[in-house]
Amino acid sequence: MKLPTLFSPNRQKLGLFLIIGCTSLFSLAQALDAGKTNVTSTAPLPTLTPQIPLEIKVTGSKPTLASLQHDFDVFSWQSFIALNWPANADGTPNTTITIGQAINSPVVWESYRESRTIFLPGGAAPAPWGQDSPLPAVCKNIDPKRLPPGTMHLTQVGKTATVLDESSEPFKTGPLIDQNGQYARFAILTNETMFNYIDSNKLYSRSGQKTFNADADFPSSNTTSQQVGSIMIKTAWVKMGGKYDPSKFYTTYALVYDNPAEEPGVKPSCVLTQVGLVGFHIGHKTADEPQWVWSTFEHVDNVPTAGQKPTQAAYNFFDASCKTCKVNEPPARPWNPGTPYTKPSQVERVIAITPDAQQLNNSYHQALAAAVPGSVWLNYELVSTQWPTNAKSPTDPTGVPAPSFLANTTLETYIQGHVKQTSSSCMACHNNATTTNGNAADFTYLLQRAQ
Amino acid sequence: MSNDMDNFIGLSAVLTGFNQSVLAPDLDPVDIKSEYLPFFTQKIAQESGDPALVGQIFDKYAALQAQNLTPQQIGQAMLDPSNGPAFVLACRKLIFMWYAGAWPTIIPATASTQATTVSDLISENAYTSSLVWQVMQSHPMGDSNYRYGYWTKPPAALSDYTGN
Repeated sequence: MKLPTLFSPNRQKLGLFLIIGCTSLFSLAQALDAGKTNVTSTAPLPTLTPQIPLEIKVTGSKPTLASLQHDFDVFSWQSFIALNWPANADGTPNTTITIGQAINSPVVWESYRESRTIFLPGGAAPAPWGQDSPLPAVCKNIDPKRLPPGTMHLTQVGKTATVLDESSEPFKTGPLIDQNGQYARFAILTNETMFNYIDSNKLYSRSGQKTFNADADFPSSNTTSQQVGSIMIKTAWVKMGGKYDPSKFYTTYALVYDNPAEEPGVKPSCVLTQVGLVGFHIGHKTADEPQWVWSTFEHVDNVPTAGQKPTQAAYNFFDASCKTCKVNEPPARPWNPGTPYTKPSQVERVIAITPDAQQLNNSYHQALAAAVPGSVWLNYELVSTQWPTNAKSPTDPTGVPAPSFLANTTLETYIQGHVKQTSSSCMACHNNATTTNGNAADFTYLLQRAQ
Repeated sequence: MSNDMDNFIGLSAVLTGFNQSVLAPDLDPVDIKSEYLPFFTQKIAQESGDPALVGQIFDKYAALQAQNLTPQQIGQAMLDPSNGPAFVLACRKLIFMWYAGAWPTIIPATASTQATTVSDLISENAYTSSLVWQVMQSHPMGDSNYRYGYWTKPPAALSDYTGN
């Protein structure tokens, strides 16, 4: 019987690396010594480290689907911790403090490049890594020098809004309306490795893609060279205020830009406002998972789970008092983020978070609380991780994903479910991504944004 | 020591010509086998009127398999008419189930209606998991994991699909 690639000798080496990599100033032991929290479990808690994991550490001598799912979920939480670690000015993690401290300063992933700054009008070359990009023209009345550190530029009201004009996207997701009647906003970012691949191969422009004329193959993380591979981040945000208490969210300031290119009738506007994080995707290309590893996190108060009694007093995208609200239905058109008030979306989670993932969430929450009592990151939980069970399958380029379906209620709100080719599956969907001239885009639709 | 699932998968591999690693991968998020086994067991018991028949089929397979016979020899022995018509028909329905993702209803030629075989799709997963698509080196209508432009390239070898 063929052994799955997950059992490759190469993977076995990873355990040692990760054990070493998990050595941190901020171990649980130190946190407990400091007496910072009440830990309710006697089981050892996860170590919080700013190291982005490069591969999955397979536990157990006879891995099963369930045990590997757990291992991938641990990978997801380690990635979440590292990416949300407080950052130095250059985007590297500030190892003098731990996650949850210096909450008003940017975290690591906020130094990544927003797609808006990569795929420029006319296919112009983007600014080099580390250099600022011009603001949208409509934001020109705002002095860039006066923006708070880490200010984002939120231009999207649909996860794939600018891609929807392209032929490769088989469906169009509607906007998500928060409990204040405002449109949720989204941003997609790439890390330096991914940006450099796009930049050096001129994949930021249609003409560059035409010249490249090959399937994209983004660099993977490499446990030998210790190089972090390609990482994509997708984030979902709501404006603070009204029914949203900023103390319960990871917040930042953003230029919220209504983009006329998104929908007919949208008038350009640009407002600097405080926004809170409600959804967080991580796509990470690793050596053993060329289909990428797809992790998704949400704010714990986002939505209740269908068929279960609501557990929270209030939700970010669900109103328990509304008995006539239709669940998981996009708002009626026309869609215009500039609309002063739109009836809030009524959203439920279709696929429940598994008990094992819930237990892992509890474990990481305890570790986060041990590091920083009341940490804002206690408000975020892993939904699940999608990974290839047979990455080298010669007959299935998606690598037979597990779980088969995965959705974030803020990013795939209206396509949750279990219907193949319709319901949200990170790998099945992104496997269809192409460049503007029809070559495979290596699981990212970003290249479709090239002009 | 084998159990019903082991015998079910082993017998299915012999009768379909697919490798067990394709029918029941070690890491199997789709897990169609767990849908098929109870379905097969219940249907055969219902249609044959013999709730012990599936057990007899599995026992026979296990006995043959223990003799270190080749898959070809085991398959021939399982489909031998000496096993009785209900036994053989159940094995043939097993093949149909795996290949079509559906359950056949065989109408005898002596029936007043035209002799034919109709089939009922077992489930959405069964449809997309059915082996006929693998033999075609293709994909189910309406469900493809192949990338854009795959039709311009030769498919993977048949052995990649069957595992043999």
